[in-house]
Amino acid sequence: MTAVIEARELRKRFPGGRDQAIEAVRGVSLQVARGEILGFLGPNGAGKTTTLRMLTTLLPIDEGSAEVAGLDVRRQPGRVRARIGYVSQLGGADELATGRENLTLQGRLYGGRRADVARRVGEVLERFDLAGFADRRVRTYSGGQRRRLDVALGVVHEPEVLFLDEPSTGLDPQNRASLWDHIRGLRDRGTTVFLTTHYLDEADVLCDRIMIVDHGTVVAQGTPRALKQQVAGDAIVLVTRNTDEAGRAAAELAGQPGVRDLTVEGTAVRLYASDGAAALPGLLRLLDRAGLPVRSLRLSEPSLDDVFLRQTGRSLRDAGDPAAPAPGRRAPDHGVPDHGVPDHGAPDHGAPDHGDAEAVA
Amino acid sequence: MKALTDIGLLFRRHLVQLLRSPIWLVVGFSTPILYLALFTPLLKHLVGMPGLPAGNVLDLFLPGILALLAFASGSGPGFSTIFELRAGVTERLRVTPASRFAILAGPILASMLLMFCFDAVVVAIGAAFGFHVHAAGLLLLCVVLALLMATMAAFSIATALATGDINGFAAVINGLNLPVLLLGGVLLPISLGPEWMRVLAHLNPLYYTVTAARVLAAGTFTGPAVWQAFAVLTPLCVAVLGWATAVVRRAVA
Repeated sequence: MTAVIEARELRKRFPGGRDQAIEAVRGVSLQVARGEILGFLGPNGAGKTTTLRMLTTLLPIDEGSAEVAGLDVRRQPGRVRARIGYVSQLGGADELATGRENLTLQGRLYGGRRADVARRVGEVLERFDLAGFADRRVRTYSGGQRRRLDVALGVVHEPEVLFLDEPSTGLDPQNRASLWDHIRGLRDRGTTVFLTTHYLDEADVLCDRIMIVDHGTVVAQGTPRALKQQVAGDAIVLVTRNTDEAGRAAAELAGQPGVRDLTVEGTAVRLYASDGAAALPGLLRLLDRAGLPVRSLRLSEPSLDDVFLRQTGRSLRDAGDPAAPAPGRRAPDHGVPDHGVPDHGAPDHGAPDHGDAEAVA
Repeated sequence: MKALTDIGLLFRRHLVQLLRSPIWLVVGFSTPILYLALFTPLLKHLVGMPGLPAGNVLDLFLPGILALLAFASGSGPGFSTIFELRAGVTERLRVTPASRFAILAGPILASMLLMFCFDAVVVAIGAAFGFHVHAAGLLLLCVVLALLMATMAAFSIATALATGDINGFAAVINGLNLPVLLLGGVLLPISLGPEWMRVLAHLNPLYYTVTAARVLAAGTFTGPAVWQAFAVLTPLCVAVLGWATAVVRRAVA
């Protein structure tokens, strides 16, 4: 494997209030092969954006080393910049300029000649389905159009590596799917894509390989498939009438053959069994006999959330920055991304909330 | 070479942005005109009083307005910087290989061009009401104004990048504005004040600009005011630009 991105023991601290430095990244090492889509998956405040910003020269590296496209990020930041593209959570297109003007300026800043840039801008506009409104001001774009332009801005100079920070935040399902197609298209053209996400489905469906990060360290990595196989078995969630009964149910189930990784979450008992469907009737009978009726249940094949849970002891959905809980937190609900939850970690941005609703065109 | 191209590209970008926000153009043009229209009448009866130079009231007051305009045009760019920081524009530009100095100089030069347009309007209106135009003096004055404006603008942008939010930035800029304006002798010559004020004024770059502006606008090139202005403003401008470029280089927000 030829590594296009290689980082060793990256560390970053931010000065906090009184002597409380926040260690945002604590020894992250990673390798990304040419032409793959790598997903950096983790909750808000896990250090994803900070790592990305160090790799893209935006933030000084405290400790450790990083090479991107064969160049040392610390020693040759200027040359690294010329070889990479970067799309932040905020995008950063000029609202008062048209899509074409934005792309042209970007291409010229990367040193492209006028004629070459004009040609490439035309191509990119076509490729990202932006041609129809290329000469309208960005202010009038819808959320999905805007996001496609942001990504187009990141690739107009044909970089070897594209960094995407939470690319689909705030997009509706249809626009997300379309964006994923565009990102796959980039990979198929040979671009290496490094993206951060806190959406399980995005990591699962889009990424060739995933690194799960939590509290500034990588806790697991592999292909989505391999990661899920680590969990070996199906997840079963049994919801009882109250927390007390949940505890008693857990005690009943604990000794059963084939039952593993038993945890209690409120009124629910979560466990894993190699063949969930076959094990379920027996478990239900057992609880029934003990006078602990089950109100509802869920049986699912292992998801990336199960991987996260197994590695960190928490569910990814609940693992956001405790200092700033997301408003209106939802009940666990597989496969549905919670839209528009901004990264609250101190080193990360404020509230990007990328055009939650489609703007009026 | 790349730096020059980048300066040109980013200059154009900012100019287009400025021209597409008509509200700022209106405010930009109306402020100096309001000063002329609403303040000059107050001065009419002061001319000839002890401590004030004799002569036409506009000859005395208009150069101060030009200096004020340079100062105000210089404070402005930081506000766009805050906005662009929030919108991710600054970050997008910083991750391109564009020259760090160009990222700073582009917006400064665009605002400067606009400032000279405002200046021209002020001088034209002033001339219609009796301001004596000395072309050569005004031309050299443009250089002094450019130095002050660039210094202030670089300071404003760097402060915006360093504070990263509108509250901190506005506090610094507003906190600075009042003493600098009052000790600059923009509206009334500082020579009217007590000695401690005159001493304090010598720490103020705006004071040198205003004093030089009065002398140059009168068509005089000799005298301490002119060389003093250059001696103070040139190194200050270079130092602040250098510092601001360093801030752009390592800006985090």
